[in-house]
Amino acid sequence: MPLTHKDQEVYRRDEKFGHKLLTPDERRKLIDPYLPAPKKKSAVKTEKKSRFGVRRFLRKQLHLLVYTIIHTVFSVYIKFRQAYHAVRDRIYSVLYYHHRTPELIERDVKGLSRLPKHLSVILSLEDDGRGGAELERLVNEASEIAAWCASAGISRLSIYEKTGILKGYIAETHRAMAQKLAAYFGPSYPALAVSAPHMPSIETPGAVRSSSPEVVPSDAEPKHLSVMLLSAEDGRDSIVDLTKTLAEMAQRNKISPADITIDLVDAELAESVVTEPDLLILFSPSVELQGYPPWQLRLTEIFHVPDNQGVGYQVFYRALCNFAKAQMRFGR
Amino acid sequence: MSDLYLSHLWSWALRSPPAEWAIKQLRELLIGALSQGPVPKHIAFEMDGNRRYARSHKIETVEGHHLGFEALARVLEICYKCGVKVVTVYAFSIENYNRPKYEVEGLMQLAKVKLEQLMLHGDILDRYGASVRVLGQRDLIRPDVLEVVDQAVESTKNNKDAIFNICFPYTSREEITTAIRTTVEEYSTTARPHSTPFSQTRITQKLLSQKHERGDSLASIRETSPSPSSSRSDEVEDSVSSSATLHPESPPMRSEFESNVTVYPSAEDITADTIDSHMYTDGCPPLELFVRTSGVERLSDFMLWQCHQNTPIVFLKCFWPEFDLWHFIPVLLEWQWRQKRKERDEKPKRRVKQL
Repeated sequence: MPLTHKDQEVYRRDEKFGHKLLTPDERRKLIDPYLPAPKKKSAVKTEKKSRFGVRRFLRKQLHLLVYTIIHTVFSVYIKFRQAYHAVRDRIYSVLYYHHRTPELIERDVKGLSRLPKHLSVILSLEDDGRGGAELERLVNEASEIAAWCASAGISRLSIYEKTGILKGYIAETHRAMAQKLAAYFGPSYPALAVSAPHMPSIETPGAVRSSSPEVVPSDAEPKHLSVMLLSAEDGRDSIVDLTKTLAEMAQRNKISPADITIDLVDAELAESVVTEPDLLILFSPSVELQGYPPWQLRLTEIFHVPDNQGVGYQVFYRALCNFAKAQMRFGR
Repeated sequence: MSDLYLSHLWSWALRSPPAEWAIKQLRELLIGALSQGPVPKHIAFEMDGNRRYARSHKIETVEGHHLGFEALARVLEICYKCGVKVVTVYAFSIENYNRPKYEVEGLMQLAKVKLEQLMLHGDILDRYGASVRVLGQRDLIRPDVLEVVDQAVESTKNNKDAIFNICFPYTSREEITTAIRTTVEEYSTTARPHSTPFSQTRITQKLLSQKHERGDSLASIRETSPSPSSSRSDEVEDSVSSSATLHPESPPMRSEFESNVTVYPSAEDITADTIDSHMYTDGCPPLELFVRTSGVERLSDFMLWQCHQNTPIVFLKCFWPEFDLWHFIPVLLEWQWRQKRKERDEKPKRRVKQL
């Protein structure tokens, strides 16, 4: 229990003088009433057992009652909160809609002080991915996000999906993304490269309309987007694989264990998997990382909208706003 | 003016003995009630916001850390009373050495004094049955502090009910790297576990056949029980020594091999569990709740390996020195609520599988 106000003042004064004001015995007396009873005491109480048993039983019943009441109230509260958030998100999604126009997204983003260079999202597959509809939804969501990123001017996107089903359909994903980009941008769509760790990337060059000389592209550099598909095996398993390789090298005396440093591991994992993203957007109702590569999460800003369901542009936009406001502080 | 007067009156009323007694009873009741439901076995706290709290209240930074320590004591008490087995706190990051020198010194002094105090009243942690562990890069700790740290760890190591992990100079990347390094060391120094030419399967088979010959009336019962265990030992043998099970009939000529060639355990046997067992948190139950205060939504190099799978992560707006039962209850309630829903979702699935 927290100290009573009087005791707290005594404690703080003692602390200020470097714990020299009170003798150990006095300090002992100060905190003793707040500590749980020592364990040996229970043996002494055996003679009064029946009475204490009744008391304990009653206390337990009281606790159970309070527990039930609290949880009933809480589940009502949660329902209200979810409803409130659902309504709010609905309003947001009407207010902030991209209308499939890159210019609108660009205008949304223009006021932000900074943008993530490398954005990452977690998508999830429901029902273990049985049936093609789930896969189609996933591919569609991925390509929508890719289009938003390209419009906002974020050139690196990594999409994490636990089971890795997107990796299995990398060519289809690429095609869907290219189509989506063409749908958003029209004739001058950005270059696209879709890849996965240990897999060759599929690339399409961007098209810049140069036939009409009066149209000058708004920014001089050609837009491009590189998408990385990640899955659970790029997380722990990649660290395990690295350890295996290092162990084999050590067994052949090619390296000594002392050579293994943070920099080496970081370089290897960045090379073969992915580098640290600046911003991670979750579309799930609560923060759970689902096995996202741990090494890469060090200083990544994690954004989620409480009680959110499904992928929406408003979540994406709010994440970018939130990222721009957040001040970067290293070393906590 | 009246606002100020009212708030004074309010705080005076809260400090009066009957109010304090009532609040104490209420806390006891709530903690007792919460412990009736499922409780996370392992919670990690990232104690963020001491400095910003100090800044916003116009007190010194070190003073903020002292208040943070009081909050830690409160939280530990709540957790252990609720029935949490392991509490892990991020006390000091390796990156924090880049902070102003007086602040680092102040923090070190704080750690030293508090641990000394703890030693002086050795049975405080014994009452909770908690043992202290210090996770992190020990060689970065000042020698005089390290001495106190070692004493604290040593004197509480026999407590088995709960664990209090202090991450002190810690970063998660350093932890993962150390785990990789120690795993590599283990696999590149120790030779293959000694295997005998006797095959366990053969022995169990022989025993079984002997029982058959005797025609024991209980044989049918006995037979059923050892068979699964023998198949399990088969698998174990497979992973330990593959050559021995390949030719179970002929005694392998291993002894000659071992004398001149050093045989390493196969690096292919390394799994996530192997690395897990080399983490600082080895022996602790999996992390079931991660709490970070002060509204920063980042992991900041803490418990990356432990929390990236399905640990619920909670970011709270309040600063760490303000953190109390009232902030913790909603977190715990939501955790319990989710836990119950998870169980409910899993139950029908299991029933389907049984059908």
